[in-house]
Order: sequence, then structure tokens, then C-alpha cells
Amino acid sequence: MQVTRMRGALAVGLALGVALSPLAALASDNKIALVPGGPHPYFAPWEQAAADAQKDFGIAAVEYKVPAEWKLELQTELFESLAAQGYAGIGYFPGDAVGVNSTIAELKASDIPAVALGGCALDPTDTAFCMATDVYASAYLGTKALIEAMGGKGAVVHLAGLLVDPNTTLRVQAVEKAVAETNGAVTLLQTLGDTDNQEQGDQKINALLAAQKDQIGGMIATGYISSVVAATALKNLGDKKIKLIGIDDDKIVLDGIKDGFVAGTMAQNPYGQGYIGAYAVDLLAEGCTVKADAPFITTPQTARFIDSGTLLINAANLESYKDDLKKLTGELQASFKDKFLSCP
Amino acid sequence: MGAFFRLQWSGILVGIIAGGIALALSAPAFLSEFNLFVLLRSICVSLLVAYAQMVMLGVGQMNLSVGALGGLVAVVTGGLMDALGVPTLPAIMIGVAAGGAAGFVNGWLTVRTGINGFIVTLATASAFAGINLGITKAVPFYNLPADFVAFGNGRVGLFPLLLIVPLLVTVVLALFFARAVPGRHMLAVGGNAPAAQLSGVSVPRAIISAHVLSGLLAAVAGVLAVAQLGSAQPTIGSDWLLISFAAPIIGGASLAGGAISIVGTLLAVVLIGLIQNAMVLVKVDPYWVQFLLGALILAAVWFNRYRAIKVGEI
Amino acid sequence: MTSALDAEPRPSSASAMDPAPRRTLTSLLLRGSTQAGLFVILVVLWVVFANLAPGFLSKFNLNSLLRSVAVDIVVGFAQMVVLATGGMNLSVGAIGVCAVMFSGYLMQVLGLPIPVAIAGTLALGALLGWLNGFAIVKTGVNSFVVTLASASLFSGGMLILTKAVPLNGLPAEFGAFGKSAVGPAIGSMPAIPSLAVVALAIGLGLYVLFKHSTLGRQILAVGANARAAEMSGIPVDRTIVFVHALSGALAAAAALMLTARLAAAMPAVAGDDWLLPSFLAPVIGGTALSGGIVSVVGTILGALLVSTIRSGLLVLEIGNFWLPLFLGAFLLAAILVERGRAAYVAREQARRA
Repeated sequence: MQVTRMRGALAVGLALGVALSPLAALASDNKIALVPGGPHPYFAPWEQAAADAQKDFGIAAVEYKVPAEWKLELQTELFESLAAQGYAGIGYFPGDAVGVNSTIAELKASDIPAVALGGCALDPTDTAFCMATDVYASAYLGTKALIEAMGGKGAVVHLAGLLVDPNTTLRVQAVEKAVAETNGAVTLLQTLGDTDNQEQGDQKINALLAAQKDQIGGMIATGYISSVVAATALKNLGDKKIKLIGIDDDKIVLDGIKDGFVAGTMAQNPYGQGYIGAYAVDLLAEGCTVKADAPFITTPQTARFIDSGTLLINAANLESYKDDLKKLTGELQASFKDKFLSCP
Repeated sequence: MGAFFRLQWSGILVGIIAGGIALALSAPAFLSEFNLFVLLRSICVSLLVAYAQMVMLGVGQMNLSVGALGGLVAVVTGGLMDALGVPTLPAIMIGVAAGGAAGFVNGWLTVRTGINGFIVTLATASAFAGINLGITKAVPFYNLPADFVAFGNGRVGLFPLLLIVPLLVTVVLALFFARAVPGRHMLAVGGNAPAAQLSGVSVPRAIISAHVLSGLLAAVAGVLAVAQLGSAQPTIGSDWLLISFAAPIIGGASLAGGAISIVGTLLAVVLIGLIQNAMVLVKVDPYWVQFLLGALILAAVWFNRYRAIKVGEI
Repeated sequence: MTSALDAEPRPSSASAMDPAPRRTLTSLLLRGSTQAGLFVILVVLWVVFANLAPGFLSKFNLNSLLRSVAVDIVVGFAQMVVLATGGMNLSVGAIGVCAVMFSGYLMQVLGLPIPVAIAGTLALGALLGWLNGFAIVKTGVNSFVVTLASASLFSGGMLILTKAVPLNGLPAEFGAFGKSAVGPAIGSMPAIPSLAVVALAIGLGLYVLFKHSTLGRQILAVGANARAAEMSGIPVDRTIVFVHALSGALAAAAALMLTARLAAAMPAVAGDDWLLPSFLAPVIGGTALSGGIVSVVGTILGALLVSTIRSGLLVLEIGNFWLPLFLGAFLLAAILVERGRAAYVAREQARRA
């Protein structure tokens, strides 16, 4: 079954993690939690990342806690119950980039540091920093890769995620920018919203292909599910003419690359986010503070952004991209403390 | 023509025809074989979901757990195939049977405890969703038998193979409610439970049967959704609630029970599918989609109401 | 609609509103109304959770529990007033979203003073609710269908106008109110959050409306039997329009409370999320789906029950991924215990009679 296979792959990561960790002896009695925005396959590697971080960094406990549904209310309730149970710090994915901030402020007031992982909370926020793939940059780079795959001309369709998510607006802008930079060689045919749901996405994307598959030169999917659905749709259609750039490394998308139906996908680094995130939260809970002059990147969402690494997976690096991500994680972790924190 | 307009669902049919003509004129791709295939395929699951709720409305109850139940059956079926390697047919049968059993739990709890079915199914919906999440941890099952997935994508001309299932179910349901004694008993209970009881109908039995039937229908919808999507996603069913009520009620079912229309429900599902298809075809600004969907549904319902008043139905 | 199943006689829910005579715990358990039964179950749950998980009674947990339950209660009220007439309002969440964004717009973009913004937001909620009521009465289409479609219209309109861009530059005082509390903290018990006070004040107003005003009695009469109400001279249409406007205003009030709690206005917070909670609290509390019976106290207790179970399970670290399963099971068990008690009471009364 899929999960066990994923575990197997991550066991390799564990071994690598141990080898990479110079701080394995440093023990702390903190309880740390990694909290995604809700149940979603993107976060599955966090479970292993939590276990590895606990072992490698000698933290008393690193728990992977999932809100029962993808709702702000359930995530904030989980934060509050974690605080009530004496957790020392939290790494979280902001399911709602603005809505979490009031709860994060309360956590900070109770001396519980929080860092955003995988996605950023919108400034002003009491989140210590954000380590993620920059949604704007990822959508922009993805569109650039798509335009390249299309040979620099043609019509593009953007398969966007939930419209009520402010990140969707950023992605729409990023795609528009990349398209505009071609000076008319590439046009944006249509933006399809709310495709980040299996059933709705399946219907909308297929209807789109039905209507204009001859006009479409390429599709950029900026949601996890949108990518999966689009890859499935192209495979069912047997169409290799339309280029697709997706996001994340779902098995269906990777298989699509293997079979030639998907041009590529923008990999993110969820394992690294969870692993380094737990490490950083532990240090913050131990009394470290974020350096004033740390080399943060400023993004439209926050002024304290750390890029967790993104790379384009295509047929060339399909087999090796996981090692590339591991290497990236190792490098980021090794220099993290000196670069971003000042510790007593 | 007068006789036609006397039919309860004629307003919806007029809406579908008018919408279809308008679409064919404004977006030539509408009538392409592939688009009609996509449209038909998109209504398969919705239709079963709508029937699952329609049955409950018939007996004068609601089932808020259709989505959670369908989702649970989807991951159980997918899990049996992927993780345990059970062959396609037994896996589907076990999955559907599990749906029937879950429906029985709903019905049994409703009857035995005397708690309103609304609350019972609200609570069991949470329980079913919890089992779903506990099994999958939000990670889908991918490795499904090729024949099963092929069935979900296959087509003969513009007809998806998937459509066979809802069409069969439609015929069976129509016969069931028109001819079979349990079916008529359900409607009698929905129309007037005390009167039905007095005329010798077992009210608890009718209610439990309706819940089991609803569970079976939702289960079949779940299995179809897996075949259609090609993987057993834990999120299947999460947005079925509104369509499950909207279609039967737009189609003429009464919330008070006893009155359902299978043709009306079928046409309502087609109408909603058509509207959603149209949004993509005519490239509606994504931010306007939801607004227009609401406006068009309201217009269709209002037109049907207007027709009903004109022919003196009310 | 479930009359067949409710054949067992049980104490009228309306009796909770009677002034309660002094009772011992056992007699309360055995003779009280649905609301008294819920109250006892709540107390038992609190004792159990407090003993099993020390974190449950922590200041932090109680404070957050009370503030989130305050919003749930008002959302429940928004549905309850429509249920009273035997109708439904599926657009509570959509009106809530519109109100959230509108309040943010008034305060942040137009820079209006907070009281004006609050009044404007409540007026918008009432207006949207009035539109629902007007459409229902004029077209004669079922409230379920009208509000289903209008929910889509309202939230669609909001998306068109705002493009879902959140507003997080609200006046600091507004967010501060969401965090503030009334009265002194006693020991480990926190002071009562202002939001909870607001919810109780709204509840008091509704209690007076349904218990002591002609209008309230008219609403219930329409819900119990619209035709009979019509014949006895009650303006049924006007009553229905009124409850929908009231429901809209209550949804807007809940939206304002949520905006204050989060100190920001964004569109993803209400919507579909409110649909089930809005029914859950009143129906658990004894409000009839078929109309004619409401319980303000029951709605408060119903919302508390759901939040207590969820918070307790979270603090006990039960389940993780399995949490919804336990939530459903606990909820069902709590309702079963209450119904079992009510049935026992009914048998006892029958035996004594």
C-alpha cells in the first residue's frame, strides 16, 4: 500500500537525517507539535519528519497533530488545546493566512513560539518566521517552465485553487505576470477557479478540455488536487500535445511525467519544512531569538520568509529529485542556527 | 401542450432545453461528442447522491450523512483493492454492503432511540468521516485494478460506461416506488405516518428500509466516484450535502415527506450539471460562477412555481 | 416531520422556560425538561474532563472555549428563529461571510467609527435576510430552496466585490474587544469573555421576544400551524419576512463577533462551515425542526455540549485522525442519555397518573 511504500522511502531520509545532524546529542525536554491546516496528503511526510526530528535533535516529543477538518476554527481549537497541554512550541501550516494570527498572538503571550511551515501567515503576525515555498515564486517559475515547454508561444490555462483562499489571488497574479512577460507570444486563455477539489475539479477541467482542447497549448495547475485531476484528465484523453505543469509530487502526477502526459511539476519540500521546522521551534522554545539581521526574504505575504527550496521535477530528474531535496534540507539545517537565530 | 405543462417537472425540462439551445448557439464546443460525454459523466455520481437523499425525503426524514457514508465506502472499497489486494467485484460488493450496513445503523438508531433522524445522521456523519480519516490519514489509495479505472473512463460514443449504473438504478427505483409494497409503504409513512400505522404499515420497518436504501445508494455513488477519479480520495463526498437536497427538492420532492419525483430529480441533476458545464464553456469569470449558479437555480425554481400557479396546481 | 418517531410522550420543551422551582439534583435528573437533562450531562462531562485532563480547566482552554462557543450560540440563534416558523435558512453562513467582509470594509476602508460600522453591518444582515423572506413570501417557493440559492448568490456577490482579499487593518479597539473579558478572574477560573456576555445578552433578548411578546407568540403560532394562525388573524407573511430579517441580523451579529475574535475580516471563516453547527445547537436543545417550539436556553446548552465534547477530546489527545469518530459517538451517547432519561420520566409520570 502507498503509505508503507512512502514510509520506506522516508526511512532512507531518516538515515540521511541522522548522518547530517551534528546536534544529535543536544537533548531538550520540550514537547513540540507540527500542525497542518487540515487533513491533506501534502503533509503526510511531516509524520516522518516529526519522528526524525525528535530522534536526531533529542527533543522530548515531536508530535504530528492534524485538525479533523480544513477549518480555521478546528485548527485554532487544536492550538489552544496544545497550549493547555503544555506544548512548548508549534510549527504550523496556516490554513487561513490571516485568521490564525489572533491565536498565534495568544500563544506568543503565553511564551509559546510558533513558526509557519509550508505556507505563510500574512504580516503583521506574531509567527517567528515562515519557511515555505513562496507561492508567488512557485507559480511564476512554474509558468515560466510551462512557457518554455510550449516553445515560447501558445495559449495557457490556469487551473487555480479555492477562490476564498487569498493565496489563489497571488498565484493568479504570478501567472499573469509570467504570461505578460512574453509580450503577447503567450496568452492566458482562461483562469478556472475552485479546482482544488476532486469532484468539482474533475468536472471543470474535463469540461474545459471538451470546449477548447484544440486551442490550449499548456496548463499550469497551482493546486495539489488540481494537478492530480489535470494529469488524470490528460492521461484519459491520451493527449500529449497539451503541456501541463503541476505542483507537488503526488504519485499520479509523477506517473504522468513518466508516461509523458505531464511536462513537469513544481516540487515543494514538505519533509524539510517539518524537519527543520521542528528543530527551529525547539531552539526558539529554549530561548533562542530570531536575529534582527537574519537573511530573510521579503515576499508579498511576510518580511520574514525562508525558502525551503523548490525545484522542477521533469523526466530528467524524476528518479533523483528526492535526493536533491534531501541535500537541500541538509544544507539548510546545517547553517540554520547560525544564520537565523541568536541563542543564549 | 397544456397537458405537458401540467407535468410537475416540465418547467425544469423547458429550462434544460432552452439552456441547451442557448449554449449550442453561443459555444459550438457544447455539442461536441467529448463535451457531451463530460457532461453526462459529471452527473452520474450526483444523480445517485440525489437519489440517496430523495429516498429519505420520501419517508419524511433526512440523511445528513450521505456524503460521509459515500466517502467511507469509497476509501473502504479503494483500500480493499489497493492495500489488501481484493479483486474488483468482491471489493465493490463489500463496499456497497458496508454502505447498506451503515444505513442500517442510521435507521436502527433513529427508530430505536426515537431521536430525530436529522440529529442521528449528523452525529453518524461525524463518525463515518472519522473512520475515513483514521483509515487513510488523508492519503488516497492509488493502486486500483486497471479494469475498474478503465470502466470509470470508458465510453461508447458520447455515453460514458459509468452512466449504466445510475440508469439502472433509476429504473429499479421507479419500479420500486411504483410497484413494490415496501416502496409504497415508505411513501405512505412519509405522507402521513399515523395513518399509515393505522392501515397496518410498520412505520419503523419502513424507516429502517429507507435508511438502508439511502445507504446503498450513497455507497454506489462512492464507488462510482472512485472509478471516475481513478483513485480513492478521502475527500470524496465532502461536498455532496447541498446537491443531495437541491436536486430532489428542485425536482419536486416535498420536505414534509411522501412526495418524490424520480424524473424531476433526474432533470434537476441534469440542469445543475448543465449550468456548471456552461460556466466553463462560456468562460465565465471564476469569481462570478457561484453568483450565477445561485441566480439560475432560483430562476428555474421560480419558473416552475409560476407554471404550477398558471395551470392551477396550487 | 418525524412525528411518527416521537410518539413517545416527552415533556414539552417549552417547559424549560417556566420559572424553575427548587429541585435536588436527582429530582432535576428525573423530572426536568430536555434543557435540564442537557445541563446535567454537561456538568458530568465537565467533571470527567477536568479530572482526566488537567489542561481542560486551564485559563487558556476555558477562555478560548467560551469565546468560540459564544459565536456558535449566536449562529444557532440565527437558525433557531427561522426554525420557529417551520422554515430553514441555509444562507446563515453566506450572510455571515458578507457581514464579515462588509464590517471590515466599513471600518478599514471607509474608516467609519466602530459603532456606526456595527450598526451598518447588522443592517446589511437584516437586509439580506429580508430579501430571503421577501422572496419566500412573494414566490411561495419553499424557504429551503430559496435560501439554498440565495446562499450561492450572497457568497458569490461577496467574491465578485472583494476578490477574497482579507482585511487585517481593523481598528485595534475592535480586536481588543474580542479578547477582553468582564469581571474578575477567580482562582483558575478566567473572567467571562465579553463575547460570551454579548451572546448571553442576545439570548436574553430572544427569550423575552418568544416568552413575553405578542410577536414572539405569533411566530410560534405560525410555526405550529400556519393555516390556523392565518385564520386567527396573524399576518403570516409579515411574520415570516420578519424572522428572516431577524435571522440575517443575528448571522451578522455572529459575524461581527467572529471578526472581533480574529481581529481581521476574511471570507473563508463562515460559509459552509456554519451550516451544520447552526442546526446542531438548536435541534439538540429541543427546538423542533417542524416549527412551533423553540428553546433559547436549549440552544445555548446545545452549542456548549458540542464544544465541550470537542475541546475535551482534543485536550485528552483522543484520536488525532480518529477524532470525528469519537466526536460523533460522544454526541450520540449524550443525546441518547438525555432521551433515555426523558423516556424514563414519561413512564414514571404515566405510572403515577
